[in-house]
Amino acid sequence: MSFTHLHVSTAFSAHYGVSWPEELAMAAAADGATALACTDRDGLYGTIKHLKACMAAGIDPIVGVDLAVFDDDGDHRTQVSGRVVVLARGHNNGAGYRALCRLVSDAHARTSGKAGGAVPAAVTRAELASRTLDPQTLKPVLTVLLGPDSDVGRAMGGRRYLRPRTLFKQWVDAMPAGTVVAEIVSQLSAPGTPFSTAHAVRMLRLAEEHHIPAIITNAVRYCAADGAPTADVLDSARTLKSLPELAGEPLLQPTGQGWLKTREQMLGLGREIISAAGYGAADLKQLMAQTEALADLCRIDPVNDMGWKQPVVPEASVIGINQDPHAELIQRCQAGIGRRFPGVNGMAEQAVLARLDHELGIIHNLGFSSYFLTVAEVSRMIQDMGVRAAARGSGASSLVNYLIEVSHVNPLQHDLIFERFLSNDRATLPDIDIDVESAERHNVYRRIFERFGSERVTLMSMQNGYRARGAVRDAGLALGMDDDEVGEIAKQLWRFSARKFREALQEKPELREFAGRVERRDTDGNQQLDLLVDLTERLDRLPRHISMHPCGVILGDATLLDRTPVQPSGLGLPMSQFDKHDMDPMGMLKLDVLGVRMQSAMAFAVREIIRIHPGKEEVVAAGGHPQGPDGSGPDYIAADGRIDLNAVPLDDEATYELIRSTHTLGCFQIESPGQRELIGKMAPREFNDLIIDISLFRPGPMKSDMVRPFLEHRHGFAPEVYPHPDLKPVLQETHGVTVFHEQILKTLDTMTGCGLAKADEFRRSLGSESGEAQVEEYFRRNAKGRGYSPDVVDKVWGTLKSFASFGFCKAHGAAFAVPTYQSAWLKAHHPEAFLAGLWEHDPGMYPKRLLVAEARRLGIPILPLDINRSKAEYRVERIASGQDAGKLGIRLSLNGIYGLSAAELKRIVAGQPYDSLADLRARSRLSKPSIRRLAQLGAFDSLHREAGGPANRADLVHHLQQLQSSTGPRKGTDVVDGQLSLPLGDIELRNLKPGLPAPTLVENVRAELDLMAVDVSTHLMESHRPLLEKLGVTTADQLLNLRNGTEVLVAGVRVATQTPPMRGGRRVVFISIDDGTGCVDSVFFHEAQETAGPLLFGTRLLLIRGTTRRTGPRGISLSASMAWDLSRTETLPFPESAAAVEDVPHPLDGISRALAITGFNG
Amino acid sequence: MGMFSESVDVVCSASGQPESLTWAGRPYALCAEPVRWYERRQWWAEDSRAPLGSGAGVVDHEIWRVQVLPVGRTSRPGAPEDAAGVEPLTLDLTRHIRSGRWRLLRIHDGLRHRTA
Repeated sequence: MSFTHLHVSTAFSAHYGVSWPEELAMAAAADGATALACTDRDGLYGTIKHLKACMAAGIDPIVGVDLAVFDDDGDHRTQVSGRVVVLARGHNNGAGYRALCRLVSDAHARTSGKAGGAVPAAVTRAELASRTLDPQTLKPVLTVLLGPDSDVGRAMGGRRYLRPRTLFKQWVDAMPAGTVVAEIVSQLSAPGTPFSTAHAVRMLRLAEEHHIPAIITNAVRYCAADGAPTADVLDSARTLKSLPELAGEPLLQPTGQGWLKTREQMLGLGREIISAAGYGAADLKQLMAQTEALADLCRIDPVNDMGWKQPVVPEASVIGINQDPHAELIQRCQAGIGRRFPGVNGMAEQAVLARLDHELGIIHNLGFSSYFLTVAEVSRMIQDMGVRAAARGSGASSLVNYLIEVSHVNPLQHDLIFERFLSNDRATLPDIDIDVESAERHNVYRRIFERFGSERVTLMSMQNGYRARGAVRDAGLALGMDDDEVGEIAKQLWRFSARKFREALQEKPELREFAGRVERRDTDGNQQLDLLVDLTERLDRLPRHISMHPCGVILGDATLLDRTPVQPSGLGLPMSQFDKHDMDPMGMLKLDVLGVRMQSAMAFAVREIIRIHPGKEEVVAAGGHPQGPDGSGPDYIAADGRIDLNAVPLDDEATYELIRSTHTLGCFQIESPGQRELIGKMAPREFNDLIIDISLFRPGPMKSDMVRPFLEHRHGFAPEVYPHPDLKPVLQETHGVTVFHEQILKTLDTMTGCGLAKADEFRRSLGSESGEAQVEEYFRRNAKGRGYSPDVVDKVWGTLKSFASFGFCKAHGAAFAVPTYQSAWLKAHHPEAFLAGLWEHDPGMYPKRLLVAEARRLGIPILPLDINRSKAEYRVERIASGQDAGKLGIRLSLNGIYGLSAAELKRIVAGQPYDSLADLRARSRLSKPSIRRLAQLGAFDSLHREAGGPANRADLVHHLQQLQSSTGPRKGTDVVDGQLSLPLGDIELRNLKPGLPAPTLVENVRAELDLMAVDVSTHLMESHRPLLEKLGVTTADQLLNLRNGTEVLVAGVRVATQTPPMRGGRRVVFISIDDGTGCVDSVFFHEAQETAGPLLFGTRLLLIRGTTRRTGPRGISLSASMAWDLSRTETLPFPESAAAVEDVPHPLDGISRALAITGFNG
Repeated sequence: MGMFSESVDVVCSASGQPESLTWAGRPYALCAEPVRWYERRQWWAEDSRAPLGSGAGVVDHEIWRVQVLPVGRTSRPGAPEDAAGVEPLTLDLTRHIRSGRWRLLRIHDGLRHRTA
């Protein structure tokens, strides 16, 4: 007889289980098991992966959950009496699985969805009892296992016999007949302790006494004994206590015996328990047989019980259709032709109709008509909300999507292939992604819930696994190491998997210092660092928690909540316990509604343009837009000045000029250092260039060296070559270089005649080794059969192999290029409004302070914080007086000031304007520290000036500081109550005692950085200027005038760090610094990384030596050879003649709080 | 009860149960069914490494509690207690999982604690 493990936690029991479903299923099958359960804690997080793993291993899945149960006698909201395992019975058309889903959802219904909520995920016994019977048939569909972690098991401590018996009886009385079994577990701990054989014996006797069947499990947490230390570390991470603390309590697993023991070992355990109980061989046989009998009851049929791979979409009636969905889809497409192709006829019409027939045929064949109608419905709903929305992804390849207004890219114009999206060979629901304004995303979600009903909609979740930094922190916590020490180590870990920590110690220069400390352990007697490395590796990739997926919404019919358990998300809306990998197996329709900050930033900019300019005429003048034939400006600007971005023609020369200048900070997709280098080299002239640029800047093309030949051919440095004349039509637009998935498909089809659908299947197979071999065989045979010579076949195969799995879908590229163009257009024509939008929605990769530097470079005045003029958002403002009078500037926002609460912010804005500090206090009820911080930032400077008086900002801050530290009733004589009603101006400000020196520029900048993470008054590098001059540093604006290969020193504050994948697999580190005149992009190749060591990732202010590399007519970057930490003056390479440098204060001195100024924590 | 960490030679049955042992040069035989369990180790303090693939025995170690009588002294094996009053000794033994070596952990001798 085989043995079935009925209580198994997978790694998806976050901070508890150690092993992956695949490992467990394979181990079980290897031991001859015919079934295996997955009973994750608190949810069905690993269930679908378990199903997949069991099917692959050829065994039956069993599904269940390990749930906490509220104490009937305690406070129902918080007191848990213990945990039980609940298994779903199978082969009942899903009745068991349905009950399990609903039960798990019950357990989460009262939780808050926020970390550290007071209410645990748990069910009451009454809920449990009611779910065990099927509501229709009243037959048992769930089985509850009472084991060592149940209230019964937990009551066995000491020598109490009555209490466990009473509790056991309560269960038997409360639960419907036939739904309870006793779970016998011995993890061989010391006699009389939890999980000991002695306790197992007592549970066995209780079962016998009450005529309840007993089964045996091993309460598995890991696949093999090797997982036990990992389980210890997870216990520590879950409880936030170190291992020594846990051992003292004692809260750790009793022994390390909780692995997936073999059938032999489980039989041995059973024998040991039975013999300790004084029972005989027949009882042992019964125990094992009952275990298998329960297993048999619970075997799940993935198809009939769980709806495996059966797509479910909302009922037609919900989307307002009362005829056959396919007939409806045909009608809507035909209606769309008139809108999308007005006046089309002849050959063009034939092409449209032929393509439409082709697509509709495939859609009908797959039965996906309702799916398209559903997506169209969501899309229409979003647009009706007035929210910017654009389809992205391969959905743009579909003419049907274009006709029903889901996508706005014409696939015929861009030569996009439908089979890349959907084909008869690909029966999974395709992805259609919709980009919306990020600021509106949650409203869109809520609207979808309202529209389809909360029983048909839930958010998708995502699993967050350990990466190197989190792993080293939790490993450090487990070992009881000092927080700061672990934090320092974590800071140096940069983009590698925790599993390779020890390998990285040997290789990565930034870890050299730490590696040295690990090696010295023998002399110091400090073993902890070595263990730290091992434990970090153990945690790698293990799930930590689930969270709301950034864009996935699941849509189903009225049975959706029978098929997925849900729990509250941080947003309050319900979230499925399933992630994106579970969607296809469960036939779930997932819509990606992605919040794109750039869409919000652009929408904001468009609104600012209307607000600041009275009408179309002013907008046309301000933006330098064409006057048009009748002199009234272009059609895409409405009479009120509203710009319809989607209608802006894609051929604006000023926009391409801006892109070619590489001053593309803030532009969608093309602002990173690597992209700026690429556009500098490529010099885009038209929209298709942008599509190609975006598609080239991907790991695949970068790794397989597609970029260099492409540029050489484009600029005519080298003649275009085609492997064969037949491929010229396919590859011409990219000068003979394969860039797009679409080109792969056509290449395969051209050379083998396989058809585009098959070609896309081949393209997908190229990702795996076995698939690749099959495709190669097919390709070589058929290409040869069609008369292609062996060297052509070799050459083309080389390209396909290296590129197919990495390349980019042209439909994606086309969809991305639209916002790229639109953002560059806004920057070229309305830079003030565009920058205000960027500050407000922060869409880019750079810290906000770099945009301040960009405004400075563009000559856009930045207007200081002002209690009466600043609002809750950044605003474009026309400057009334002074040297910049008449210009447009950007007024800083009150939002995002350190310590200022959202409620305070709201009250300030509601009460504006204020005529005095007392007025402000009275009406905005600001806290004293908030008032002082606003004073430090100069928000009262204009009030102060109006009030007159001899004091300065420092005096005011000092005065407020004193008020803040004084407690009780006001003692200050300066404050006069009741002045509010007197039109006297601000007496408090006027009467301030002068005495302190005015704050220096450095102090002001420090306050700005500290409280707003931007340097407004002046660039933070300014105070370093004398030092840099002594060092002989070159500034960013001078670099472009230098020859290629000039050795220079540059210095600045770090704004970006990137490690893009590179040809040959050797890591290259891009570090960009900002020195106040612009950005310097530097590249650290292998040797420079060696010399820079820990400075690579750990330093804010950098001095870099390197040689200039010209990257294009307008682009220059630096190949670094050495770096220094600018704040460590004594280490810097001063020329010998230079006099000693005085140490002067700098803005970043003394700010220890992590500031969002460098693009990463630091 | 005393705490020891003294080396012991143990002879086991085919199923891995201790049958007899030699301690301090003197042979003993088991006179009762042994009891086996596992106890946790403070591995984070005792070990310097715990890499993946360490296998069993990092978190816990196996304990056997045995009752033994000296073999071949004043009494004949199997005879009732003789005049010298030889009572069975209760010993806790542990087997190091990787080396397979046995060590004596504790001695329980009923009335008195003995320590090494």
